[in-house]
Amino acid sequence: MSRQPIISLENVTKSYGGINALEDANFELYPGEIHALAGENGAGKSTLCKLIAGVIAPSAGTLRINGEVVKFSAPKDASRHGISMVYQETSLVPQLTVAQNMVLGRESAFNSVRKVRNSARQVLQRLNFKVDPSQLAGTLSTAKRQMVEIARAVLNQARVIILDEPTAALTPEETDHLFDLMRTLQADGVAMIFISHALEEALNHSDRISVLRNGRLMVTGEASAFDRKRLIHHMIGEELNERLHVPRAPHAVRSALPVLRVENIRMGAMVNNMSFSIFPGQITGIAGLIGSGRSEVAKVIMGHTKRNFGGGRIWLDGREVRYSLPAQAVADGIAYVSEDRKLDGFFDTLNVSENIGLGWLAKFGRRRVLAPLQKMRALSREWEGKLSIRSIGKDQSVLYLSGGNQQKVVIAKSLVQEPRLVIFDEPTRGVDVGAIAEIRQIVRQFAESGAGVILISSYLPEILDLSDRILVAKSGTIVAEFARADATAEKILHAAIH
Amino acid sequence: MAEILSMLRTSKRKGRLLEIVVMAVTVALVAAFSIAVDGFATPGNLEIILSNSASLVILGCGMAVVIISRGLDLSLIAVMVAGATTFSIFINADIPVVTALVLTVAAMAMVGLANAWLIAYVEIPAMLATLASAMAVTGFFRFAILRGEFLLLLSKDNPAVIFLSGDIVPGLPTPVALMVAALIVTWVLLRGTAAGRTIYAMGDNFQAARLTGLPVRTTTIVVYVFAAMMALCAGLVTSAASGAVDFRTVTNGTLLFEVVLVVVLGGIPLRGGRGGVWNIVIGVALIAVLRNGMTLMNFTSQTQDVLKGLVLMVAIVADNYLNPRDTETDAVGDL
Repeated sequence: MSRQPIISLENVTKSYGGINALEDANFELYPGEIHALAGENGAGKSTLCKLIAGVIAPSAGTLRINGEVVKFSAPKDASRHGISMVYQETSLVPQLTVAQNMVLGRESAFNSVRKVRNSARQVLQRLNFKVDPSQLAGTLSTAKRQMVEIARAVLNQARVIILDEPTAALTPEETDHLFDLMRTLQADGVAMIFISHALEEALNHSDRISVLRNGRLMVTGEASAFDRKRLIHHMIGEELNERLHVPRAPHAVRSALPVLRVENIRMGAMVNNMSFSIFPGQITGIAGLIGSGRSEVAKVIMGHTKRNFGGGRIWLDGREVRYSLPAQAVADGIAYVSEDRKLDGFFDTLNVSENIGLGWLAKFGRRRVLAPLQKMRALSREWEGKLSIRSIGKDQSVLYLSGGNQQKVVIAKSLVQEPRLVIFDEPTRGVDVGAIAEIRQIVRQFAESGAGVILISSYLPEILDLSDRILVAKSGTIVAEFARADATAEKILHAAIH
Repeated sequence: MAEILSMLRTSKRKGRLLEIVVMAVTVALVAAFSIAVDGFATPGNLEIILSNSASLVILGCGMAVVIISRGLDLSLIAVMVAGATTFSIFINADIPVVTALVLTVAAMAMVGLANAWLIAYVEIPAMLATLASAMAVTGFFRFAILRGEFLLLLSKDNPAVIFLSGDIVPGLPTPVALMVAALIVTWVLLRGTAAGRTIYAMGDNFQAARLTGLPVRTTTIVVYVFAAMMALCAGLVTSAASGAVDFRTVTNGTLLFEVVLVVVLGGIPLRGGRGGVWNIVIGVALIAVLRNGMTLMNFTSQTQDVLKGLVLMVAIVADNYLNPRDTETDAVGDL
């Protein structure tokens, strides 16, 4: 391509408190190009996108648009240059309609409802989206919200659209539809950058691929010049892949008595007559799409969610239980490892030992009056060793640890309670590859100690590698069960979608 | 200078800088008043400053614990005055002091319990729950006990009043001793008990504290009952010193404002999770010195309010500058 790039980054560096999130990156994007960014979590993909979208400003280096040097101080500067970003967590206002969302930030002083709706409808129809422009954005599914964001970018005549993990929450059909759409936009000369964790998507649907590792842009090249192996090699620099996928030895001890039995749990629109049993010494994987009610049922079991509880019964070791507070579940030996560690996993002003110590304190509920700091510190050191948690300093806040170490702290905080049943909700989300292997090992060892394990994961290889038994959830119901020997990715996906 | 600032901004304990600024301002004020105001730098005046700070420190202890747990107690002053009234009525009726004290403690603990029940079980925001209980308590006492009056006079020769307004040992006034005791009890609660650890955890991340299985409801009860007890203690000290219980303390609202001011100035963020007794001491020191100096310079109380308001604004702006909330802060750990 000898044309002028629409965007070019020259020696761009972005650092946060001395750590380089992106270092000396040179990147070019041409009109009408679909450019995939690959790399592990924390490699700098999001940082690169946010720099281009004006969300953050570079610490050093220059950004050019059509050859002109620009400095963005806010996303609106970028959008004035025709750059739009479609976020992973969609940024629509749930209380506004689809049409209102699409013109958000570009309204004139007086808006005719009909005019706004019509222009929105035009764009949606042109893109072949079946979304009603007068529907409230909050009532849309994840896939449709994403479509609306893309439509908004098109309405704003974006020339560059950045998509941050657009397919993470989509079904295969929706994914195909998305890539068809991207090709349509490409024909109009729109340039697109997309981040994806599915390497096949990058290989099959992009023109060029850039691979980042540890804040450095390792390589950029035509997609046809890459294959899966080469991509992984650039992403992690060694053949870590083998270490990641250690299939679990068949381990089908099923004692007669389930540790947990759940029957006909209902909660609002998310959980719909969910029933299953969990056996000790086994890892029971629950596969399904995002929004299939898996985390919700876990939070109902824990007593964390009570609103909209629609009935159902829970037995722990044959004894019927109904918790109104997670403290009661924890006292009975159930622990939940949150899917979003920042939201409700760890305490970010506290250090590693305080976090783990709090988990241990929680085991005693209100029976303990004094907090033995020495003992808590010793216990924490023991678990830091067991899970090889690497922290920088003794008083380092958990916030400054890597994603993998943060996740291990959250896991240690639960395992220190010596639970009989642990619910791991997406235990390796946002964790670097090395730590993924370690965390999977921790889950395995914990199950081998005889405890019950529920593994909720949207990543099929993880479910297949770890589980002894696989349940598939769809719209709040368990729709299929597989023994590990019979399960394949195709069967699970089929059950989860159809 | 810019380098030092940026270094401090990225250091782990960001809150520390506000503490240093507040301490530096206090020292500067002490120096300025010592030179400019006659009678400021005398042992007698120092004792006055200490005695006058006692009730503010005790109230600050209650409020600090609540705020660290990410709550807010707007009923603190109402409980303070209601507690003093209850106790005064009992001793004016010649009920033995110990019995009167036990009954008063029980009554005020009930208010704390009611607050905690509304917040932890009914799950009403702390600000609204305590605002409602403050109004209910004040209204009840003024209507049912004081029959619409503002003032309840205490007999100066009652042994309890003599004890509370006198010296516990020669040279050490009882209010100052109680102030030190309140600081020690608060320190033990926050640092050494399971409830204290849970208070920090709740202030840091309430959902995480709940999901970890920490006894958040019990701890909420501990927090609000503790605050009510501190308020009662402050009420006894204040009313014994002035010889009267004055409900205008509640209705004009300045004292509640001052307690929050002290806690925030001391470096305890309103979003909770951080701080300790040291922060209360720092906050009170600045306000006490400022108040005493201004009084000696014959400032009217209105002028003093304006200045205190400005001090709070400067503190909040400084806090906001030192702990900036932007996308970059949010993104730490997720580069």
